[in-house]
Amino acid sequence: MDVRSQVSMVFHLDKCIGCHTCSIACKNIWTDRKGAEYMWWNNVETKPGTGYPGKWENQDIYKGGWEKDGDSIALKGAGKKKGLLNIFHNPNMPMIDDYYEPFTYKYLDLIESPASDDQPTARPVSLITGKPIDIKMGPNWDDDLSGTPDYARNDPNLEGLTPAEQDAMFQLEKMAFFYLPRICNHCLNPACVAACPSGAIYKRGEDGVVLINQDVCRAWRMCVTACPYKKSYYNWNNGKSEKCILCYPRIEAGFAPACMHSCVGRIRYLGVILYDADQIESAASADESELVDKQLDMLLDPYDPEVIKAAKANGVSDSTINAAQGSPTYKFVKKWGLALPLHAEYRTLPMLFYVPPLLPVMASVTEVSKDQNDNLNPIAKQWTDSWLYDTSTEELWGTIDQARLPLKYMANMFGAGDESKIKGQLQKLMAVRIYRRWKTVGDISEEKVNEVLKDTNLTAELADEIYNLTSLAKFDDRFNVPPAHREQAIEMLEFAGDEKGSTGFGIKEKVQRGL
Amino acid sequence: MKKQNFQLIGRNNNKGLNFCALFFIVVSVLIIGNSVCYAAEADQHEGAQYFNQVCSACHTINGGRLVGPDLVNVQERRSDEWLGQFIKSSQTLIQSGDPQAVAVFEEFNSMVMPDAPFTDEQITAIIGYIEVASGGGEETVGDGSEDAVDPEVLSEEAALIETGAASIEKDIILGQNLFQGKIRLQNGGPSCISCHHVKNDAVIGGGILARELTTVFSRMGEPGVRAILGSSPFPVMQQAYLNKSLTDEEIFAIVSFLEQADRDHMFQQPRDYGVKLAGTGVVGLMVLLGVYSVLWRNRKTKPVNKSIFDRQGKSQ
Repeated sequence: MDVRSQVSMVFHLDKCIGCHTCSIACKNIWTDRKGAEYMWWNNVETKPGTGYPGKWENQDIYKGGWEKDGDSIALKGAGKKKGLLNIFHNPNMPMIDDYYEPFTYKYLDLIESPASDDQPTARPVSLITGKPIDIKMGPNWDDDLSGTPDYARNDPNLEGLTPAEQDAMFQLEKMAFFYLPRICNHCLNPACVAACPSGAIYKRGEDGVVLINQDVCRAWRMCVTACPYKKSYYNWNNGKSEKCILCYPRIEAGFAPACMHSCVGRIRYLGVILYDADQIESAASADESELVDKQLDMLLDPYDPEVIKAAKANGVSDSTINAAQGSPTYKFVKKWGLALPLHAEYRTLPMLFYVPPLLPVMASVTEVSKDQNDNLNPIAKQWTDSWLYDTSTEELWGTIDQARLPLKYMANMFGAGDESKIKGQLQKLMAVRIYRRWKTVGDISEEKVNEVLKDTNLTAELADEIYNLTSLAKFDDRFNVPPAHREQAIEMLEFAGDEKGSTGFGIKEKVQRGL
Repeated sequence: MKKQNFQLIGRNNNKGLNFCALFFIVVSVLIIGNSVCYAAEADQHEGAQYFNQVCSACHTINGGRLVGPDLVNVQERRSDEWLGQFIKSSQTLIQSGDPQAVAVFEEFNSMVMPDAPFTDEQITAIIGYIEVASGGGEETVGDGSEDAVDPEVLSEEAALIETGAASIEKDIILGQNLFQGKIRLQNGGPSCISCHHVKNDAVIGGGILARELTTVFSRMGEPGVRAILGSSPFPVMQQAYLNKSLTDEEIFAIVSFLEQADRDHMFQQPRDYGVKLAGTGVVGLMVLLGVYSVLWRNRKTKPVNKSIFDRQGKSQ
């Protein structure tokens, strides 16, 4: 057992309101520079939709991530042979138009234009060429646009859905969407690291943050191609690739990353998870049906004495183990089994987990029967009856199966295509809601609630725990940032004694008094 | 008015001074001219120094032909004025069509005699030295010829040649390496290849700043080549090897190499691609581009949202 620590993240999609505050916080700190204007280390996508860069999930276009190669795995678009052959043209790399051409407006024209018959306008200008452009695209161009033929219907996750199912998704009154905020997943088996011909990308030992060494990067851009989440970006101005750094300067100082800190919906959780690095290869090269399970199996119980012993032997500090024990992400992912990795089929073992959204289910309906139709207000097209909230378990789990966003669609995103993987998670979320409704509203019988909890292997205490961390969590509950121990990491590289006596407390200018 | 007068007076004074200076100069020139015989000893010494430094690389006085003609009693064959012009700039004289100059030039393989960086006085001194040295004494004839080519160098090299049974393979290879700069010259001088080329299998792409040296050995002969290496008469080469003179061993090795290059150059066929090289490059590029266009045909060249962009309105 090779125990290592990873700062992992959980995004609770039911809580995301799609306000893009996280994106702006990140942009203001990190990517507000020449050459980085088009980068959104954090972005929020509307699903169903094609996302940013366009159709990034379609690996037939971008050839990102890993694919199974016999018993092991190989990079889909890069790697030693393919990488060398393609090193000078990098065939599957996204172009700037796949992201969007960054722009600003000539605001000064509004106030500095001479008097004339026409109102001055602020023309858009490209941030790349500096010339006026027609804006073609933006980073969230399809924001809130569910059902559009160009975006929503081109969502790669619709694969495997029948045309009827797809049509059902986009019927005017049934249409639903949710938001998918994305940052770098800081994967356990990062394709970007494996693809880099210069060896510039590395996964930091102490917290698993994946970083690009800007001194070593030689602009091959293989990471841009290899990352299936398209979260490595090329800075055309300084000729280096850049990516989300999980705000490591903030983490080292004990703060949550800027996107998480600023999150309005409080959807983001951060904490340490211990994992067994020996299992990386077997987990990454598992059969598609086992991918999610095997990845979750790698994550270790921080209370297990064996794990603690092995972690200590591996140099994981006590404070990090302590942080792992209080980690909110461990609870969501392992203890409660609510969060799942995004697109486990890319085999990068992402360490950003998502609690899938249940939201559309609550307003969803089963087949509309005749008597229900009678209750439909012909003008407002709203059901006047309260039958909607029939929470008998039979009906309940039925609604999940017939959710407005089909299970298959969700499974394509979070379950490597396997509906059974995601169903349990949604049921648990539903069970907690029913439990809370019984507690706060009281229109559901206790037997039903107990039945629901029993069905989902939850107890009242667990349901309360989930409810608390989901709805009432304070700052310190959501972010359990481990102490950084940079001093130890530095001591591995250089002799800290050299600095002794030359820094720290002392007198800089000689005192002009006394003897 | 008064002021103007002052100025006039001043001018007159100046003129007076100029006349004074001219007078003194004329007088001193006359005195010097008259006293040539008295100063002969000093002149001879000075002239000898210049001669040995520069001229002796190619010329002897009563020592036989070297690269250029033997200069013994040259003043009897040519006027001092002609000699002065020729020494100053032989090519100017030749191009002006002077029959004597052209004849000499052609007689000696059209070897260009470099323009000497001498003042008129120095030229006079050199001519004076030649006069003295040619008429001066039968007894110095033998020494004179060797004096001309830096006596120490010559004697040592002569010794080398005698003991080493002319140049052996080792020397040729050493010379070749020195020529190409594979071995640095001991005193830090630039290697020959920086400016010169030799047609030889071993040498690829020598410099084109100076003469091509393949047949230098037959053109100048061994003493000539050695003398040029010892103390070059060419201004650029002089400057290049200022305080960085070649050692005797190096001269011997390079001379050996040049001799071998001259001897063998008929059999050496180093490839000269010329225009073909550029042509091959262009053809190679076309082939490569062809290969790449096949290899890279799958490159993503269209944005995924092209169909959307195509439908969008354009302002221009």
